[in-house]
Amino acid sequence: MDITYLKKRAVRRPDFHPTRKIRPTILMRRKHIERFSPSKDFNATTMTMMIDNHMQTQQSDFQYWFPALRRFGPDDPFFASGNIERELLAKQVALDLTEEEKQQLRNLDDADSEVVCPIVGCGAKLRSLVEFEDHYNARHTASCSVCSRVYPTSRLLGIHVSEAHDSFFQAKVARGYAMYECLVEGCGMKLKSYKSRHQHLMDKHNFPSSFDFFKKAQPSKKDRLKKSQRKQHHATFTTENEEGSGASAMQVEEETLNGLVSAVSKLTTSD
Amino acid sequence: MMIEEEQSILEAQTASAVEELKAAIAFQGKGAVQKKVNALRELRRLLSRSEFPPIETAIASGAIPLLAQCLSFGSQDEQLLEAAWCLTNIAAGKPEETRSLLPALPLLIAHIGEKSSMLVAEQCAWALGNVAGEGEDLRHILISQGALLPLAKMMFPNKGSTVRTAGWALSNLIKGPNPKAATELIKIDGVVEAILRHLKKSDEEIATEIAWVVVYLSALSPVATSVLVKTDLLQLLVERLVTSDSLQLLIPVLRSLGNLIAGDTYTTNAVLVPAHEITDNIIRALVKCLKSEHRVLKKEAAWVLSNIAAGSIGHKQLIYKSEAMPLLIQLLATSTFDIKKEVAYVVGNLCVAPAEGSGRSSLIFDHLGSFVRSGCLRGFIDLVRSADIEAARLGLQFMELVLRGLPNGEGQKLVEKEDGIDAMERFQFHENEDLRNMANQLVDKYFGADYGLDE
Repeated sequence: MDITYLKKRAVRRPDFHPTRKIRPTILMRRKHIERFSPSKDFNATTMTMMIDNHMQTQQSDFQYWFPALRRFGPDDPFFASGNIERELLAKQVALDLTEEEKQQLRNLDDADSEVVCPIVGCGAKLRSLVEFEDHYNARHTASCSVCSRVYPTSRLLGIHVSEAHDSFFQAKVARGYAMYECLVEGCGMKLKSYKSRHQHLMDKHNFPSSFDFFKKAQPSKKDRLKKSQRKQHHATFTTENEEGSGASAMQVEEETLNGLVSAVSKLTTSD
Repeated sequence: MMIEEEQSILEAQTASAVEELKAAIAFQGKGAVQKKVNALRELRRLLSRSEFPPIETAIASGAIPLLAQCLSFGSQDEQLLEAAWCLTNIAAGKPEETRSLLPALPLLIAHIGEKSSMLVAEQCAWALGNVAGEGEDLRHILISQGALLPLAKMMFPNKGSTVRTAGWALSNLIKGPNPKAATELIKIDGVVEAILRHLKKSDEEIATEIAWVVVYLSALSPVATSVLVKTDLLQLLVERLVTSDSLQLLIPVLRSLGNLIAGDTYTTNAVLVPAHEITDNIIRALVKCLKSEHRVLKKEAAWVLSNIAAGSIGHKQLIYKSEAMPLLIQLLATSTFDIKKEVAYVVGNLCVAPAEGSGRSSLIFDHLGSFVRSGCLRGFIDLVRSADIEAARLGLQFMELVLRGLPNGEGQKLVEKEDGIDAMERFQFHENEDLRNMANQLVDKYFGADYGLDE
């Protein structure tokens, strides 16, 4: 990609008001006082301090100076003046570079040689080795060898492969095992169906109902015709093989895929 | 100022760009991807105007669900980038505009995975940073959707604007007030190492963002604090404090130091041991801040110093013998109220030793005498006169030290000379009971009937 994608940061528009207001500290902060226990517990033996030599009768309740650590939470008004600039940066707009700025960068970059991605069918042009590494990492490492979909992490790719292309996976699902992993790394939850996983994502992780992990790729015309016929037959999600016992493994997968898709397409609602 | 006509043209263009996008998404023929990218690009340009971007119109025209669709897995990088860019700028708007990104959040999070191209990951992190910066409830949602781990991992490379953006977004994500995210973050493998590495070697822009992450870690999570103080972190922070001149960097570095010292006695007891080089260095760094012309640095440096002065006698002696002394005296006399108050804490803490048992603190006469001779009493009596309860209390407490500590009635004479009696009598009818009592007790004890002065 060229410098079209370089941006500069800007803070929010001038009519933005920070959500934190600065309040003066009128109310007292008692933390450093509370450590002191009033001198009604005080007795003569504790007066053996070498340094202090005024031993008069004590009045109770005077809150003597007591050195103690003072700690503030990040939102404490104490930090307000130091936070002002940072608050303005709470949101940042991504702006285009001006033509001038772009030209300056182009002048800098003209010296770079081009690298062409050698992977069959790719042919992407990159400007430097770093960019090539970046490109390779993004496009050619986490892609599904069956359907070529690309995923942003190895983990999501693994989940996709199991759920979409593994008949063993489907077999276990059919027998009632909880096979559908939660998509949030570290959660560990497993659900028994795509639908219940979807529900879990909404309930536990605040995902919107419109989120759909497995979106079918664009089908061919033949498949689209088939699908619209099938939609009329099935009201509920099913993994049954409808073509009869002579069906091949590939067909099993396809049926399952279509079944998944038609069921999921009934699930999604637009927000 | 935009005139109405320009405004409505812009709105029309935006609505039309969204329609284009909708059509492009529905289109299934040849060149579909390029159609989508072009439509996205048009919308992005409208939303990247530096003045009055048409965010409201974009949302009203239904842009968000379309943009979310453009983020689906397997989409071309250009498409992902343009869509994330649009969302970034929408999220930079008003609160309700930021909130409108909800349907797109899980997809944005997914695309900051390690297999995404850096540009795409960075743009998504940027959008998420804007969302996190809006408010606590959105932070909660992002965290429950699993944003913390992938964002943390984006800090691991050595350099690049991606690290900077991720650091900024992360600081927004963990800023609380709920401490849970901060505590989770420190436990992630590699995070501590990355923090140390950046603070040691990275440029100031990256170091600034990382420093803010440390600010929140140390302010919110005792677990994080206790982990961090046992690393080289304090050393690295002190070095930055000494060497940098960038206010943007100095503020979070200073505050991190302050939080680490205030948050865990280990810091003062085990790391900042009086004989060690690091202790000399930190005092030197704090003196630099006290000399700075920036109010924030002066005030927060005084706060940090006051906490060190609350430590052992060795710490107090160290500060007493350092360059800090003349600065403290001068600031107490001449600076603005907020700085004066912090300096007062330093001075008072330097004059009393930690108490044994439950009695009152014992005095360090050398220090007290020195401050009094330099005219500090006046500054404290000023505090007594202020409207701020905490400051008034400090003033009265210091007066008590002087009255108790100076021999032969010298204390009383000095207090009277500086109009201290007058200041105390103002509390006779003050609504705050504690202050009333304290002032009355001092007056009764030291300026009672046998004081020998006319009323």
